[in-house]
Amino acid sequence: MNVAGSLLIALGALLLLLASIGLFTLPDALSRQHAATKAGSLAVACIVLGAALVGGDTAWIGRALAIIAIVWLTLPVASHVLARAALRERAEATGSDRLPLFERDEKG
Amino acid sequence: MSNLPIDLLVVVVLLAIALAVLRFVRGPSDADRLIALDILFAAAIALCAAAALYTRQVLFLDVAIGVALIGFVATLAWARLISRERAAKAPADPER
Repeated sequence: MNVAGSLLIALGALLLLLASIGLFTLPDALSRQHAATKAGSLAVACIVLGAALVGGDTAWIGRALAIIAIVWLTLPVASHVLARAALRERAEATGSDRLPLFERDEKG
Repeated sequence: MSNLPIDLLVVVVLLAIALAVLRFVRGPSDADRLIALDILFAAAIALCAAAALYTRQVLFLDVAIGVALIGFVATLAWARLISRERAAKAPADPER
């Protein structure tokens, strides 16, 4: 089994776990979104690239590059839309007519 | 050939799934649940890669491509649904 591929897979798995821990410990929805989408996209890229290196074939590497391209093109858009939804939801919860960019909610 | 890295990957990803599901159940707002869903889709892609490595079949990476596309569309649709609900309730929102 390929050493570099195994290392990349382990790194990606730890990054995914880190994103999930951040999802669980950070205080509000915007911070959670920040933790989840960035670390999540890097984790997926590491895992898929490591799997391609372990597989070691052009078919594996081509599909892995396709997955990475799809994830890195679509995840910023998805995280932007998520952040907007979170912000708008919090604006409604606090009853303000501005978008509450610099406030935290107390619900945890 | 040892399967130890793949086993480690599956165990850690299952741990991440457990945390994300806990956030999904507990999450105070709808946006928190959406973010947990995003993590769940990433974990699904990781498990597809693990399945491809276990069986040595590249077909599972095609499944991972499908999961990635569906995850994007699902996140977008749910976020738009939440936002549109809020925008319909508060028509004075300047950034509709």
